Amino acid sequence: MFVLPSVLLVALFSIFPVVWGFVLSLQKASLISPNRPFVGADNYTRIASDPVAVKAATNAVIYTFLFVPSSIILALFLAVALNQRIRLIRFYRLAVFIPVAVSTIATGVMFMWVFDANFGIANWTLGRVGLGPFGWFDSPSGAMPSLVIMTIWGWLGFDTIIYLAALQGVPHELAEAAAVDGATRWSTFRTITLPLLGPATLLLVVWSTISAVQLFDEVYFVTKGGPLGATSVPVFYIYKLAFTSSYGFSAAGYAAALAYALFVVILILTLVQFWMGNRVVHYSS
Amino acid sequence: MVEKPHTKWLPFSAWHFLLMPVAILMLVPMVWVVMTSLETLAQTQHFPPILWPGSFQWSNYPRAWSSVPFDTWFINTIIVTTAVVISNLLFCSLAAYGFARIRFFGKSVAYFFLLATLMIPVQVVIIPTFLIVKQLHLINTLGALIVPNLANVFGIFLLTQFFRTLPVELEEAARIDGASRLKVLFRIVLPLSLPALATLAVIQFLWTWNDFLWPLVTIYNPSVYTLQLGLMSFQGSHVNDTNLLMAGNVMSMLPMLILFIAAQRYFVRGIATQGLKG
Amino acid sequence: MRRTHRAKRKLVVPAVAAIALIAVACTSGSDSGSTSASGSAGGSGAPIELTMWHGYGDVIDNQGQTNYEAKSLTDLVNEFNDANPGIHVNLVYTAVNDHALEKLTVGMQGGQQPDIAYQYGTSIPQLSTAPSIMDLTDRVQDPSFKWDDFVQGARDAATFDGHVYGIPALIDNLAIVYNKDMFASAGIDPPTADWTWDDFRAAAQTLTDPSKQQWGWAFPTDATEDTVWHYDAMLWEAGGDILNADNTQAAFNSPAGVEALTALQQMAVTDKSVYLDQQNTGKTDQLFNSGNIGMLVTGPWALSAYPDVDYGVQVMPTFGNGPHTTIAGPDMWVMFDNGDGRADAAWQFMSWLTAAQQVKADSMEAGHLPTRTSVGQAPGFQEAFDKKFPGEGLFVQNLENVTKARPVLPTYDEISRIMGEAIVTVMLGQAEPQQALDDAATKVNAVLAGG
Repeated sequence: MFVLPSVLLVALFSIFPVVWGFVLSLQKASLISPNRPFVGADNYTRIASDPVAVKAATNAVIYTFLFVPSSIILALFLAVALNQRIRLIRFYRLAVFIPVAVSTIATGVMFMWVFDANFGIANWTLGRVGLGPFGWFDSPSGAMPSLVIMTIWGWLGFDTIIYLAALQGVPHELAEAAAVDGATRWSTFRTITLPLLGPATLLLVVWSTISAVQLFDEVYFVTKGGPLGATSVPVFYIYKLAFTSSYGFSAAGYAAALAYALFVVILILTLVQFWMGNRVVHYSS
Repeated sequence: MVEKPHTKWLPFSAWHFLLMPVAILMLVPMVWVVMTSLETLAQTQHFPPILWPGSFQWSNYPRAWSSVPFDTWFINTIIVTTAVVISNLLFCSLAAYGFARIRFFGKSVAYFFLLATLMIPVQVVIIPTFLIVKQLHLINTLGALIVPNLANVFGIFLLTQFFRTLPVELEEAARIDGASRLKVLFRIVLPLSLPALATLAVIQFLWTWNDFLWPLVTIYNPSVYTLQLGLMSFQGSHVNDTNLLMAGNVMSMLPMLILFIAAQRYFVRGIATQGLKG
Repeated sequence: MRRTHRAKRKLVVPAVAAIALIAVACTSGSDSGSTSASGSAGGSGAPIELTMWHGYGDVIDNQGQTNYEAKSLTDLVNEFNDANPGIHVNLVYTAVNDHALEKLTVGMQGGQQPDIAYQYGTSIPQLSTAPSIMDLTDRVQDPSFKWDDFVQGARDAATFDGHVYGIPALIDNLAIVYNKDMFASAGIDPPTADWTWDDFRAAAQTLTDPSKQQWGWAFPTDATEDTVWHYDAMLWEAGGDILNADNTQAAFNSPAGVEALTALQQMAVTDKSVYLDQQNTGKTDQLFNSGNIGMLVTGPWALSAYPDVDYGVQVMPTFGNGPHTTIAGPDMWVMFDNGDGRADAAWQFMSWLTAAQQVKADSMEAGHLPTRTSVGQAPGFQEAFDKKFPGEGLFVQNLENVTKARPVLPTYDEISRIMGEAIVTVMLGQAEPQQALDDAATKVNAVLAGG
């Protein structure tokens, strides 16, 4: 069967970890010592009363709401632009893709400089048009928007090439037929292209949401959750609980519980998105 | 073909007004990376960063290459990435076709189950996955990097969505003519899916090439390192060899950019619709 | 002369160290009892082969320059090998010191641990549980070893739960490094040994000029141990302590603790004379080097990062009522018993390596502060040392003021995190010192109680 080999592979590398993780979440565990007292649902109830977890969850929501729509809309826009047959188009496509290829570390270092409150280009440019200096990564209120900007910049190319690939599947004849009938380019876009991009949009919405909720690398390399927890996100908190000694050596069980709670949330979100998507998206007719 | 006539106000398309600034914005870090790679170490320590060093230390490149086993790492990374990309193109196509076109028992459940695995943060599964790989005696070999990544759920997801947009008539016609499903997949569907396949290849290449955490945990022998791991060697005990690190980064990015440029060919409109004519 | 700059990227270290430790735990069954690391037992005639891991780098570094730290160690090892045909020490550069713990734990997993390894002092509690680590408590009591000759703070850091697990390999401390030219242009006198924190504050204020992007001082506010240990030095100067005598309660929320934190608050929030480095990735050093910061409280490892500054070094100010106190972050040689008489051979080598004569040689070659008081206090040493490594002479003298150490506990990282958050909250103007320290004390007490 077609599907079987892939499913088996994924099962092997996913089922065991998933089960193991769930067992872990029911224990007060250290990843190091074999002594793991069973504490039942304690780890789960702890979540609600843990201010750090609540803050991380709130941040995740804010980040997702800022990141997902903006990056998808921008990507769509860019993909259409990159679909034009004009000179230099291959150069433009490459340029848009490059940020995705640059490693997260290099991106992080660069943005730390660009957004430096005293020496960065961002404040310098804004200063020239009279806008006050912003704290960017250094201010508790500015860190999250800065993170959003940095990650959109870094991942826009990814969404764009997916849309670009999808645009190739839009038959030329339909657009031409509409033009003959007198439709404007905008209404053609709205009534023909956009619906045909439905599957790609659904893919990107689901994928971007999952990635946004699981944001980690950029926080790890740049903000480290700060300042003062402003960019503390769930996976980063999980990581610190399980893999560092900042919260003691027995927090792995709690970390697993948090991961499972996160998993359930993502699961629900994705289901909702798919359900809504399947009502709206047209597949080939 | 009816072309809607319109007067051109400019000698070039207005799209350039949008794309050029965007391109510059996107390229600025690349410029910074390249400039840093051509500076002396002392220059890299200046803050604010120097954007134009004046004299270029081209020697940083051969030095970055030779002061560490760059060639070994390069080859290792090529091997791993090629294997993973090819395997993904194969397995994901098979699975995606199954999900897109074939009705079988438990399809929704299986699809959903696969999707669910995407949602688990990698930090949670990293240890159990490590233990599995260890049981397979693959630790410290390139196999550890290849085997767990043979089929990426994202790829299945991407291709499924794409296959669904293809007009099903072509395939039905072929099946009426007696072709097997496999043949339909390889002869008809895949050629029509080149943009999506190219996209998957580029993305998977990107992920595998740049993967850091997994190799970090599974590979301890420097001769088995991948490039990303190897670049750590430029983080010295006193200061980071930032200039060499950037040179290493640039060299590391080149294959990916070359692949992307080559794959651009497949982003061309029109291939998908050829089948509909006549 | 380049030196190790620590307190960076502490997250990567625990990350992979923990993953590796898990791997050790989960697979210890299959590797049970295996202690044969690389090296041989040395039967008749053949020398005993020992392996020694360090993180100083290669003797010629990637830029083509001589790395004197690595060279000094290599020369010493060669000297020993030549003089002792029965023992052969193999010196191996494994990874930078930030990754030393992870390399070691991974090595232990495969039964490949070395005989001697260089580790951060803060790793001692964790390493003390390693199966083959050598407990050196009895060996260091040997009169010829002169254990008490090592700087107090270093000895304390090597001792966990009453047992000695490491021999001091490197020691440093914190003092003021200041830009002489900036003081001259501002028309104020540079720091003296009699300065109090009020004097420091006044100078910082005078040196601060926002229009010229100039600050009087800089402080790491990334809430890591780098933040905490700077505060610890001030806490001790004010007469306070981190924990109580038997490590069961927090003690930093005392009036002394509040005094120290208030000083920081005044400079950071009220005067705004401190550059707050939130990312702590080296920007502060770069800014000091470009003449944007007047004073830093830092250690000898950083001096090589200021080639463009005419700097002076001075001890930290006091709070007016106590002696000078500073803090050190000692690194250790830890040793493993891999059987077959290698432990004794390793000890023989280590006793030689850390004897006064070799310590002096290493200091003069690599620019390391001497770990032994007899070396640092020897007549003429500080002058000669300062001549070769400008500014470091005072750091040697300052070793006398390393009288306390941070608590050596497995829970220290948690305590550090809690304190770090409290300090940064105050320095960002979001809390008052007494309140922040009291909240932190409550959390620390919970941790210490095993919660």
